[in-house]
Formats: sequence, structure tokens, C-alpha cells
Amino acid sequence: MPAESDNDFCSPADWSRPDGAPDRFSNEALTLDRLPEYRRVELEPVSRRFAPYAVLSSSVFWLIVIAASLIGPRLPFVELELPRWLPVLPALAAAWFGLIAFLDARRRGWALREHDLIYRSGLIWQRTAILPFCRIQHVETASGPLERLFGLMRVKCFTAGGMAADLSVEGLDQESARRVRQHLLEQIRDGDDEAGE
Amino acid sequence: MKPDADWQRLSPLALVFLIVSGLQRQVRENLFLFAGAGAGAAFTDWLGVRELLLIVLVFVLISTLGAMIYHRRFRFRLEADAVRVRRGLIEQKELRVRFDRVQNIQLGQPFYYRPFGLVRFSLQTPGAADKEVELPGIPRALAETMRDRISAVRASGPAADDQEHPGPAADASTLFAASPGRLFLHGLSSNQVWVIAGLFFYLGGNLLERFGERMETWMESAVDSAEALVIPGPSWLMGLTVLLVFLLLLFALSGLLALARFWRFELFERDDRLVATAGLFDRREQTVRRNKVTGVMLRQSAVGRVLGCWSLLVRQTRSSDEDVTASRNAFVLPGLRSGDLTLSATLLPGLDWAREFHGISPRFRQFAWSRLLLGLVAALALLALILGPAHWSLVGIALLAALAVPALHLRFRQWGWARQERMLWVRRGLLGRRFDGFDLEKVQQARVTSSPYQRRHDLVSLELVLPHGSISLPFLPEADAAGLANLAVTAAEMAHAHRV
Repeated sequence: MPAESDNDFCSPADWSRPDGAPDRFSNEALTLDRLPEYRRVELEPVSRRFAPYAVLSSSVFWLIVIAASLIGPRLPFVELELPRWLPVLPALAAAWFGLIAFLDARRRGWALREHDLIYRSGLIWQRTAILPFCRIQHVETASGPLERLFGLMRVKCFTAGGMAADLSVEGLDQESARRVRQHLLEQIRDGDDEAGE
Repeated sequence: MKPDADWQRLSPLALVFLIVSGLQRQVRENLFLFAGAGAGAAFTDWLGVRELLLIVLVFVLISTLGAMIYHRRFRFRLEADAVRVRRGLIEQKELRVRFDRVQNIQLGQPFYYRPFGLVRFSLQTPGAADKEVELPGIPRALAETMRDRISAVRASGPAADDQEHPGPAADASTLFAASPGRLFLHGLSSNQVWVIAGLFFYLGGNLLERFGERMETWMESAVDSAEALVIPGPSWLMGLTVLLVFLLLLFALSGLLALARFWRFELFERDDRLVATAGLFDRREQTVRRNKVTGVMLRQSAVGRVLGCWSLLVRQTRSSDEDVTASRNAFVLPGLRSGDLTLSATLLPGLDWAREFHGISPRFRQFAWSRLLLGLVAALALLALILGPAHWSLVGIALLAALAVPALHLRFRQWGWARQERMLWVRRGLLGRRFDGFDLEKVQQARVTSSPYQRRHDLVSLELVLPHGSISLPFLPEADAAGLANLAVTAAEMAHAHRV
């Protein structure tokens, strides 16, 4: 897990004590240059096992196509003549998508700040998502058979506003994913307590 | 569990509403099947009028029977902090909705309920895709008691249950009222004109195809019998006149529909709620809690820009990814003039109407034009190879591309944003315009995306995810987008007590 970088501006933690009593109150105007800058946060790379997983999962479809084009014409009950070079096309596609997935996996990163989660993904279209803890409604971890094979787990954060508003953090090893989930759940609970008081 | 005596039933007249709404649903779901192409058309082609009528009769009978069973089994019970409903046609369902979860309350009164003082009462919660509870046909007094009790519970907690229930307009102050003239203009400028036109041509075209032969025979006999028929002027003039008359009728129909839907529209404020009443045949009252408002959208269609007519949509948390802006349940303020745009600040304090907007980078236009040119060259080359260099489709595609050039420019001109402290306006559109205004503290998530082209020019696209959907701003300078993302996230984090 990365070290939690602080939101060293007017942090909500400064606003109120855990017992809910206001410690101090300020109402200064916020200017854009004084806000905590998400771009300055050093992101933790995802698990090293995510790259081979991503390569495999992105090229598995093309591998099946290659296998079908190689085996299909040889089956006794199939009368089909395919050009000998045909499997080269899905092989090229598999190599291309595999390469993209590999480079994307090496670029992915995540970070927990005091009050939000940052997740960077994508190679050609690079995306950084920032999700405040206070907007998370519930958290779950998930892993498919292939992910389990590589010891990986996804952390899915659900917010209000439909599926488009949810964030799935992929590429964490199981231990990190469980710790992140636990941390997020604690943050949600603390937020609920403060909101309720 | 309390005894069954606590459970209330619907009024017998609710059966009429259930049958009518059931039939409406049947027509809506099967209209395209029967009027359109495909299996329905093939099926109806070999049916006579008598068989079709028989099928319609069967549909009516099934709807009536279904409505009767539903009505018979329907029970509801008002509890201290919740409403409980038992319903179901085949399987019995029981639902309990807590009052503090309620986002919207709607009271509707179809014209046939009026003499009996009945209303249709419905509740919506942020988690439900549609109306979660609908009580079709309960006495108005009971509905108003429930509405006020829900509001009291939501405002002050269960302890406030016993307070005096306010009358519908006793402590209300009117914020906006639309005159019939404005409502008619709203209908003219509404995009429903084109929906009606599309539906007309779709259904008309299919019916003509189906009954074309009979029509032709009928026309021929009519022309034969009217030997002295003289068409005044050239035929193109006649065609143009028919088209103009058709368009005028279409606009008039749209205006009348808006008049019926929003008749005597009034928006007023009652305690912490916004209440809108409207409707000629089906009088509706919509109530929304102020703190459930997540934004507003000011809309002006292309015709609306000519007529100076606006509409405002009050945005709230949605549960599904379906766009609800055109939904009948949407909280719409129709027939606004430019002087009424200050209503945005009344509905969402701090959200003043902005006149100055920052545009997006002109590289958006360059990028779109250059990609359009590349796409055009590729499409022309491909078509020339397949169809030959002299084929008419090449000219068609080139013309379409020529039309896309000014369209992309207009699109570029419309994108813009304006910030007022924590409030943000985002403008977008093509011929019409939409202005989304919201408080940055409502942002659920901020996303910054960049393509290779954007990265070469220090540009990014910003997407702010709100409880009512995503708002995007493409091709912003990276520093501006990062500033807005930082501000949105900070505002949301500082407003954690206002969790949606």
C-alpha cells in the first residue's frame, strides 16, 4: 500500500474532532492554485502480476481464433479450405492487443489520499479518476478464475448515479485489495458517524 | 404484524385507471409491432378487419381481467414512518418504503377522478428506477395527509408526525407560473414536434404500404367521379402548400399537447419543498425536496432560440443509466423567458445565471475537421474502388461531409463553462443549447482523460460524475481541467455531511 499522501489544504479532518464538536472554523475563499493537486501525488504501481494477466486476458479471444483456424480445417467432418496465412491475422491482433495491455498494465497506478482514491489507467486514452471516500456507498472485492490464478483482485467502489459513477480498481494483489477494501469501509463508516452526529 | 383491518383498499374507480393505463401500456408496447414492419406486419397482412377487432377485444379483456385481479389484491397501509404496499398479479409482493427515503411525491388527478375527489398518489426513492409506490385512486384528503406526513417526517424526524398538516397552498409562495401563451410557445419550441413527425411518417408510411392499394383504388374512383376537378397552380406549389400546412398542423398539435400537459403550471415553495402543479386532463402535483436537487438544466431548442423560449429541468439522483430528461416524471418548468433564468438561483441557491463562458480549445475544431477529412478521403476511396468513381453515392457522402463542417464549428462554439465559487455551469449544444448548472460538492467522481493528440497540445477532457449523470468538457487546457477536478473533489470532500 502506498503511503497516504495528505490533502494538506483545509482538510475536513481539521474541521471537526472525531466526537463531532467543531474544533475550528474557517471560511476562506478557495483558489484553484491552493487546492490539493492530484497530479502531484505519487502513484503506487499495480501488482507486477497484472501485466501477464492483462496480456493473457486481452489476447485470449485471438488465441481461440488462431486455434480454430488451425484445427478447424483439419477436423474430419469439416470440408473447409482456408488460406495458410490466415492464422497470421489473429496472431498479429493478439500481439498488438497483448502489447497494448502489457504497456497499459505497467503504467497503471493508484493512491489513497486522506479523503480520496486515485486510479490511473489506459495507454492510448489515459484516464485518471479521483473518487472521494464520502461518495462511496459500498465496496466489494471481486476476482475471476484467471485473476485468482495470478493472485489478483479488483476493488469495486459503488456510488450514487448509476453504473457510470462506479470505479473498479484492477490489478491489486489480493492482500492489497483486502486492505484497501477495509480502509475504504472504515472511511465510509467514519463518514457516516460524522454525518449522523 | 397488525391485523388485516389496518390495510386499506383502493377506490372502485381506480379500476378505470388501471384498465386505461394497462391498455395504454399494451398500445405503447405493441404499436410498433402492429403498425411497423416485421413479424407483426406479416401476421396482420392475412387478417381481416373482423379478426383484428377480435384481437383488440381479447387485448381489452385481458387488460380488464388483469386490472381487476390487481385491484382486488392491492392493499396499502400507512405506518408512522413508512408506507406498506401489498400488490401483485401472479405473485404477491409486499413493499415498505420509509418516508425519509422518499425523493419525489406525485399526486395526479385524471379528469374522471375529479367528480369523486380521488387522486393517484406515487412515491419515488433514489434507488428505484421508476415510481416505487403508486396508489391509483385514493381520496384526495388521504393523499394530502400522507404527503404532509411524509414531508414532516423528512423535515423533522418522526417526532413531527403529530404536527398540524398544512393545506396545499396555505403557506406556499409562488415562484413561477406559466401563462397559456407561454405554454403554447413551449410546445412549439419543444423537440416533441420532431418526435410526432417521425411517428407520423413511420406509422403513415407503414399504413400506406399496407392499405396503399385500397387507397389508390379509392383515389382513382374519387378522381373519376370528380371530372371537373381543377388543381389551381402548378403541382410543386400545391406540394409545398401541403407540406407547409402539415408542418403548421404539427406545430399546432405540439403546442396543444404542451397546453394540455402543463395547463395552469405553477411552481411554488412549501417549507423545504418545491411543488409544481400542472395538467388539464390529468392534473398532477410533483413535490421534490430542496436538498434532493442535484442540479438544474436550462434548455433551449433551435426553435426556442428563435422564439426566446426556455425550459428548466430540475435534476435529481437517478438510479439507472437511463436518461430521464425526456421522461414524463421529469420535473420540468416550461415556457420560461430569458428574464426567468434567475430561477436557477432560487432553485439552487448560489447558482446565478452566467453570461460569460470560457470556451474549449479551438484544437477541438481542428481535430474534428481533420479527422472528418481523413474519414471522407478513406470513405470516398473505398466507395470509388467498390462502386466506381462516377457513382452518385460519392457526391452524397461529400455533401454530408460538407454539412458536417459547419455543424462541428457550431458544436465547438457551444461548449463552454463558467464557475461561480463552488457552482459550475456547463454549456453544450448544436443548434439548440443546454446549460447544466450544479454545485461542485455534488460531484461523485472526477475523471480526466487524454488522447495522444490532446497530450501533444497539453489538453485533456474532464468528466464530472454527478448523481444525475455525467457532465463532460472536452479539450480543456490541462491546468484548467486539473483545477476544476481538484476543486470538485475538494468541495465534495468538505461537504461529506451532505451525502447523496
